[in-house]
Amino acid sequence: MTTDRMLKFVGTAKRMPTKRPADERAGDFGEIYDEFDAAAAGEQAARCSQCGVPFCQVHCPLHNNIPDWLMLTAEGRLEEAYEVASATNNFPEICGRICPQDRLCEGNCVIEKGFESVTIGSVEKYITETAFANGWVKPVVPPRERPETVGVIGGGPAGLAAAEQLRKRGYQVHVYDRYDRMGGLMIYGIPNFKLEKDVVERRSALLADGGVVYHPNTEIGATVTLEELRARHDAVLIATGVYKARDIMCPGVGLDGIYPALDYLTASNRKGLGDAVPAFDDGTLDAAGKRVVVIGGGDTAMDCVRTAVRQGAASVTCLYRRDRANMPGSQREVANAEDEGVDFQWLSAPEAFIGDGRVAGVRCHRVRLGVPDATGRQTPQPVEDSSYVVDCDMAITALGFDPEDLPVLFGAKGLEVSRWGTLRIDFRTMMTSLDGVFAAGDIVRGASLVVWAVRDGRDVADRIHDHLAAKAAGRARDAA
Amino acid sequence: MTEIRESGEQFVRAWRDNAATLQAAHAYDPAHEHESCGVGFVASIDGSPRRDVVTSAIAALQAVWHRGAVDADGKTGDGAGIHLQVPLDFFREHIEHTGHTLNEGRMAVGMVFLPRTDLGAQERCRIIVESEILKFGCFVYGWRQVPVDIEVIGEKANATRPEIEQIMFSSPVGRSESDFERDLYIIRRRIEKAALAEHITDFYICSLSCRSIIYKGMFLAEQVASFYPDLTDERFVSNFAIYHQRYSTNTFPTWRLAQPFRVLAHNGEINTVRGNVNWMASHETRMAHANFGDRVEDLKPVVQSGSSDSASLDAVFELMVRAGRELPMVKTMCIPEAWTDDGLMPQSWRDLYAYANAVMEPWDGPAAIAAYGGRWILGGMDRNGLRPMRYVVTQDGLLIAGSETGMVRVDEATVIEKGRLDPGDMIAVDLVDGGLYRDSELKDLLSSRKPYGEWIKESTKIDALIKAEHEEKPAFSREELRRRQVVAGWTLEDMELILQPMAETGKEAVGSMGDDTPIAVLSDKYRGLHHFFRQNFSQVTNPPIDSLRERRVMTLRTRLGNLGNILDEDSEQCDHLLLESPVLTNAEFHAMRDYMADTAAEIDCTFPADGGPSALEEAIERVQREAEDAVRGGCTHVILSDMGTCAERAGLPMILATGAVHSHLVRQQLRTFTSVNVRCGECLDVHYLAVLIGVGATTINPYLAQEAIADRQARGLFGDATLEAALGHYKKAIQDGLLKIMSKMGISVLSSYRGGYNFEAVGLSRALVARFFPGMSSRISGLGLSGIQQKVLRMHARAYDEAAVPLPVGGLYRYRRNGERHAFDGAMIHALQRAVEGDSYHLYKRYAEAVYAQPPVNLRDLMRFKSKNGAVPLDEVESITDIRRRLVAPGISLGALSPEAHETLSIAMNRIGAKSDSGEGGEDPSRFRPRPNGDNASSAIKQVASGRFGVTAEYLNNCREIEIKIAQGAKPGEGGQLPGIKVNGLIARLRHSTPGVTLISPPPHHDIYSIEDLAQLIYDLKQINPEARVCVKLVASTGIGTIAAGVAKAKADTILISGHGGGTGASPQTSIKYAGIPWEMGLSEVHQVLTLNRLRHSVTLRTDGGIKTGRDVVIAAMLGAEEFGLGTASLVAMGCIMVRQCHSNTCPVGVCTQDEALRAKFEGTPERVVNLFSFVAEEVREILAELGARSLEEIVGRTDLLAQVSRGDPSLDDLDLNPILVRADSGGYPVFNTVAGRNEVPETLDAQIIKDAKPVFELGEKMQFTYNISNTQRAIGTKLSSKLVRKYGMSGLQPGHITVRLRGSAGQSLGAFAVQGLKIEVFGDANDYVGKGLSGGTITVRPMTAASFASNENTIIGNTVLYGATAGKLFAAGQAGERFAVRNCGAEAVVEGCGSNACEYMTGGTVVILGAVGDNFGAGMTGGMAFVYDADGTFAHRVNPEAVIHQRVETEYWEDVLRRLVTEHARETQSRYAERMLMDWQREMPKFWQIVPKEMLARLAQPLTLGAREQRA
Repeated sequence: MTTDRMLKFVGTAKRMPTKRPADERAGDFGEIYDEFDAAAAGEQAARCSQCGVPFCQVHCPLHNNIPDWLMLTAEGRLEEAYEVASATNNFPEICGRICPQDRLCEGNCVIEKGFESVTIGSVEKYITETAFANGWVKPVVPPRERPETVGVIGGGPAGLAAAEQLRKRGYQVHVYDRYDRMGGLMIYGIPNFKLEKDVVERRSALLADGGVVYHPNTEIGATVTLEELRARHDAVLIATGVYKARDIMCPGVGLDGIYPALDYLTASNRKGLGDAVPAFDDGTLDAAGKRVVVIGGGDTAMDCVRTAVRQGAASVTCLYRRDRANMPGSQREVANAEDEGVDFQWLSAPEAFIGDGRVAGVRCHRVRLGVPDATGRQTPQPVEDSSYVVDCDMAITALGFDPEDLPVLFGAKGLEVSRWGTLRIDFRTMMTSLDGVFAAGDIVRGASLVVWAVRDGRDVADRIHDHLAAKAAGRARDAA
Repeated sequence: MTEIRESGEQFVRAWRDNAATLQAAHAYDPAHEHESCGVGFVASIDGSPRRDVVTSAIAALQAVWHRGAVDADGKTGDGAGIHLQVPLDFFREHIEHTGHTLNEGRMAVGMVFLPRTDLGAQERCRIIVESEILKFGCFVYGWRQVPVDIEVIGEKANATRPEIEQIMFSSPVGRSESDFERDLYIIRRRIEKAALAEHITDFYICSLSCRSIIYKGMFLAEQVASFYPDLTDERFVSNFAIYHQRYSTNTFPTWRLAQPFRVLAHNGEINTVRGNVNWMASHETRMAHANFGDRVEDLKPVVQSGSSDSASLDAVFELMVRAGRELPMVKTMCIPEAWTDDGLMPQSWRDLYAYANAVMEPWDGPAAIAAYGGRWILGGMDRNGLRPMRYVVTQDGLLIAGSETGMVRVDEATVIEKGRLDPGDMIAVDLVDGGLYRDSELKDLLSSRKPYGEWIKESTKIDALIKAEHEEKPAFSREELRRRQVVAGWTLEDMELILQPMAETGKEAVGSMGDDTPIAVLSDKYRGLHHFFRQNFSQVTNPPIDSLRERRVMTLRTRLGNLGNILDEDSEQCDHLLLESPVLTNAEFHAMRDYMADTAAEIDCTFPADGGPSALEEAIERVQREAEDAVRGGCTHVILSDMGTCAERAGLPMILATGAVHSHLVRQQLRTFTSVNVRCGECLDVHYLAVLIGVGATTINPYLAQEAIADRQARGLFGDATLEAALGHYKKAIQDGLLKIMSKMGISVLSSYRGGYNFEAVGLSRALVARFFPGMSSRISGLGLSGIQQKVLRMHARAYDEAAVPLPVGGLYRYRRNGERHAFDGAMIHALQRAVEGDSYHLYKRYAEAVYAQPPVNLRDLMRFKSKNGAVPLDEVESITDIRRRLVAPGISLGALSPEAHETLSIAMNRIGAKSDSGEGGEDPSRFRPRPNGDNASSAIKQVASGRFGVTAEYLNNCREIEIKIAQGAKPGEGGQLPGIKVNGLIARLRHSTPGVTLISPPPHHDIYSIEDLAQLIYDLKQINPEARVCVKLVASTGIGTIAAGVAKAKADTILISGHGGGTGASPQTSIKYAGIPWEMGLSEVHQVLTLNRLRHSVTLRTDGGIKTGRDVVIAAMLGAEEFGLGTASLVAMGCIMVRQCHSNTCPVGVCTQDEALRAKFEGTPERVVNLFSFVAEEVREILAELGARSLEEIVGRTDLLAQVSRGDPSLDDLDLNPILVRADSGGYPVFNTVAGRNEVPETLDAQIIKDAKPVFELGEKMQFTYNISNTQRAIGTKLSSKLVRKYGMSGLQPGHITVRLRGSAGQSLGAFAVQGLKIEVFGDANDYVGKGLSGGTITVRPMTAASFASNENTIIGNTVLYGATAGKLFAAGQAGERFAVRNCGAEAVVEGCGSNACEYMTGGTVVILGAVGDNFGAGMTGGMAFVYDADGTFAHRVNPEAVIHQRVETEYWEDVLRRLVTEHARETQSRYAERMLMDWQREMPKFWQIVPKEMLARLAQPLTLGAREQRA
């Protein structure tokens, strides 16, 4: 009986897949976790309590049926486990690697308190890698081809998830991306040590095999206009993500040697993919031998500090104006970064960049946390006369992303945006102010997680299907 | 009781009006009335009429009053009566008064109830009676108005009193007695029909006979001779007298319902009555007998509609007897003994029973009957022995039998024999030739009358045949299987949680906590038709059967084919197929199909998926037509199949198809000619199969379940098990599950369950139910044919859409995002926890609003408040403190809960002056004293459940209320189980058991088999705690209103109505899902029926089961509740996050576990619990203020303040909550409890003893008392024990400090809960429940010194002795009845023989039985030890070897234990039998067996065998 094999958390301790030692892993860009072997995956999956109300699922944006595939894994029924896992998630192997599980499923695991959570992410990764290894992962073969075509702008997680879902129903799907590869931030934003690039490319290739047509290097508004796409397709999905780096406003911000996080990470990732990257090769975006300061406390900041470590930085310092408990990024990533030698300076905010033409240091002041505001977060207050300087050769700002000005970029005046610049949609239909034009992912919700993008992509695929099915039914009625 | 506000006339008028209103609203059905009783008879063994037979019977009626109920007026009884020979001399005088002289014809007398007030109708009745009598050539002497004394009956009884007259007439000359008696039977049926045709309802013939006459009415039993002065006439002599005292579940005096009936008087209840009556209707088609000739048509219907179960059984008895069958044979056919193919039973008896089984479905249920059939007077017992019957044979030639010993006072010196009827037994007197026939003599006689052994060879047992030939192999491809699974509505969850355990372990899956999903009719997901059927279950008026420990009385034997004429007696009746189980695997089905060849017709049960809006209905009609044609064409088997389901055709729900065919064939009077075999894809779990059988299926082949098992087997999910093995497991799980479902209803025989509609529909259209499932109740209507078609087609489209379909993940049992909704989802749990942790009413309101924003889950979600007055200021509403006092933390046992959680609840509830309920399992006595900081961890309510764990005199004296848990919302009709892993040292100590050993609570309370038994337990509890109120916990079901009325009459103070959503620590998943109904339905019915019967103001109503907000509380109040239990919500407040693994001992938050490491995780505090209850109370205040009410009391029963706002999904026919909202007129009585304190019960002998024992309490002196007693003095020693335990504690006195010596027959519950220091010595005998809950006292029972009979050959104490005893001693010089020492956990006892099921469930103590034991010894015995003296070497056949081993006494240590007890027995009782045994000890000792539970083998302090000692040494 299932419960005989499960509920082992009382007697079995949590064990993650082996993590390579910090000094070893800091020397390369390989993923830091090994894979579970079958026995370990089964044993760890069997720790699941098989809850009546699985809070892991409740707090998973995709509502993955986690207890079910844990149970199937514990029983060694991996093909079924993959079937269940992939029924709610287009990229389980990617979510298994990069989701901040400690804030989502694992963080809400009911045995977390005292027993430490089930290693949900690692098992998810194990299931899917096993599925790939055994050839269970197959390209989409739609039951029938539909005549309608859908154009998807943006080959990131939202766009690709939507593309795959639509393709399953037999729609003709075209994905347009301004970069040369599909995957969006999954390919250029997230460093290899979290997500090796062949994992992403394996997925995009699978979609292509399933009949999704890619149009790389296509800039909407430049290569092709939105109007053209609308004419070409029965529906258009905008899933561009948000790319505009949030600026820091302080003296010295114009100095050389200060870079937005994404520029820095993209260069590193492109190098990893073997591309020629002049700005890296000339040392501009290479942290090797430099004293690096990263400003910000989110996951992107963590990616930057850990990349800098791997590039051989002389020192890496992270400045964040709140304390550890109040940082938005994953605690697990912070711990990894600390292990790898990053110096975290909590409660310190940059005042100015100093240097002569090129940045040489960041002047900061200490911060104390005041009373919580309406959102429940404590507001940072500067501590007077607490300035000090952190010397540096390279400063990376990772303060978040804002949407680009799409109506201007796309030359589509009618495309309504919110006051934050995100696209305004009808939340019932997920359609923008333009008929037949849908939007999903970060460009609607603001910078967020890959898993939310996948969720949005799946949701919008259903809405697009509803829209197209209704139109088809209308046509059939008219014809009759 | 409050003052009487209505006259009898007003009451009767108001009752009738109210009943009509409630009936019209489908809120009440008089068919649900129950009754129970005391019964007995006296017979003259040589057959000569005697006056003392009559006077003895009248005396007996004066000694059974406590088995009946008395109305508030103290005079209106539930009915009593007496059945006697017609006293010829007496009537000769009255005939002469009419001016006639007795002619040569045979004299007959009819005892007739005529309409009293409608003189026209009265006259019409006389005309009908006379003219029918005259048509048969009789001569009418005239009518006699029977003298009655109306002073002795109550006003209500008088208001409905009929005109009571006797018609005296004579037969045509030369008509023999038996021929004339048969004529009279036909005449009476003709009269009854004629009266019915004239719509005269108040007309009833008690008896119409030339042999016997029945005097009965609505007086108290002891008043029978006062009401009918006739009976005091010395000329009333008789060779037999049957007497009966009735206890009914309503207060309306209905004269005709009094017993005895024409043949029998019945104490009990026929649980299978609906199936039996339906099958009788089918049998009528073929019914014929030479004795009746053409007149047989006059006899139909045999069972008149509206008859009670006893009346129905009587009608069948009468038919069979008049057709010429002997009375003992009729008893054997209708109420057979349980039998199997092995055991000690003679082959000739087995042949007899096999024949009886071939002819008629047993009428199953508790029954002690007394019957008269001309030649024979007979006492009989049901197959389970669920009613007591004791008898005495006297030297002067009387057989006196009855529910209790001592009802007729007999000088013990004149007694030849004192006995009892064991399960299935009979005793009879041949009144013609004279002579007493004991059970085996009767059965030998019957089985030798016909060559039954030859006849039954006509039946073909096809089990062996179908197993041999075919191989099981899968038929579908993976994809085909998947699509069919999806179309059946199956999910991954079904496969993993339900199917896998069945096929892997042969057991049903177990789950925990309650069902918080929407009832099927409110769900927006696909729910198969079986979700709309809720299993019926018994509570109070009859016991569930224990399908695990008392399996031997149950059978799934199935007859297929053509059933014969029930009135015949020949071999042809046996010509049909026989199966041991109705569940067939595919190979078995194919083999059976091959065997049936062209005697079977296969009917396709699918319909076109693209058909019109009535495609489903058309298909059903087609299927019905094809079935009818096939049967008319001579087919004896019909096969219904949905195998034809494919992309183009959708399957009919097979429940619907089966019900449609069965009901159609019954209506066409064809059902008896054929079997209905069902091949069904949709059925997966036990419940589905039970529904199919319940609606008429003969056999079932769950082919798709088999395919799914085959698929899983191929994938290796059953390890190395073969497909056959996995299927075997599945079949076993299904079969055991069927037995369990039947047993909940108290039904032990499948053939009587089939077609009995032992379900109630919740949310099915009433029209649909009436059409396809006639007779099943469906109160709120709902889904009809068009809705079903839509649902089926939606699933069909999903399954046969082009894409490959994944199996949905599920979510019915455990929450899944895309599955069924759950009332407590993650957000709700967190919201509530945040609110109580932060003490924030604001956050609580956010939680409550989230609850209200959910789509409807419960019926109450379809209602809104309807304010009639303006709002009142919040300040004027009663305080939070007042409201909180009405809130209860319901019973959750320590054992399920961790000690931390259990104490937290108690402390919290005590802090706010509210009540927590201990649940079953006792409580640590250290909790009975407040803690240094003032916290009181003692539960205000102490529960008494069927296991009686931890129920001691001390426990019962430390509470404000005692709750008798009859049933549990999550699993009504089932027992409970605490797995060994949860039984640690503390739990074991409190439950008087052994750590690590699994503890089982039986399905029934073994001292509550009927309503009068419940009254007795309430009486006992009110003695052991003279202040505590007594609460009876019931589970909502249709018909619960009448049960509650009975409970109120039994003097309960509070009635708790639990809804189906209630929680559980562990229970089969199908029980959590499919038994019980919402409390909204049960509560309102109880409130209405109590109001109707003017009982509402004498009890408090409480409800629980999923209540979680103030709004729920207010709605419950409006539906009639005054107190409210919040179970799951209070657990959530303490940190429960609904992991639903309570049964696994792995609760990660330490709430529901005994694991030390996990208990350390518990973070609950009393403050959080207090916060929850305060918030709920505050919300209640706000709602009350809005409604303009100042207190909760004002709105109790105010359903007029509720309005239905939603009628559910548009696809429903109608969803009508009017049955819940209808109100009965209260006639000026309050509709809430007005009794301050409690409903007191009469004092017993203890009042005198306590007075006499003053020196004991004042000076602590040692004393001895002596009294004479009778059987009406019950629970002797119990109230005294309460005084003793309060003063001296459980062990403050030495054993024997007070000795109470008694002479005579002790009433029930002698020495119940007697404590250490009290010794009771009885000279005479005692009734049932001796030493119930014995808590350290000593009881001895021995015959009078003058008695001449051998003590070991006679019965001296009754049934269910030492039930739940925790300590103390019992010595009885004689035999005990059934279930001796059941659930004993500490007492030592010696008796000289006992009935069946002895030592059942025993968990401790030592029992010595110096004589033969009945069957099923030691079933479920997990602790303690027994020694049985086995003179004739049959013990090995009597013991149930599942839980125990038996061996000879090998070691000195255990021999010493045995000998010490026997010596003590001999000393205490002076038993000559025991003395002889001791004298000859060396020769006798080797005849003893030592019985030890298997679980104890490794835990015994002393080795059992010599070998083991050596090994240890």
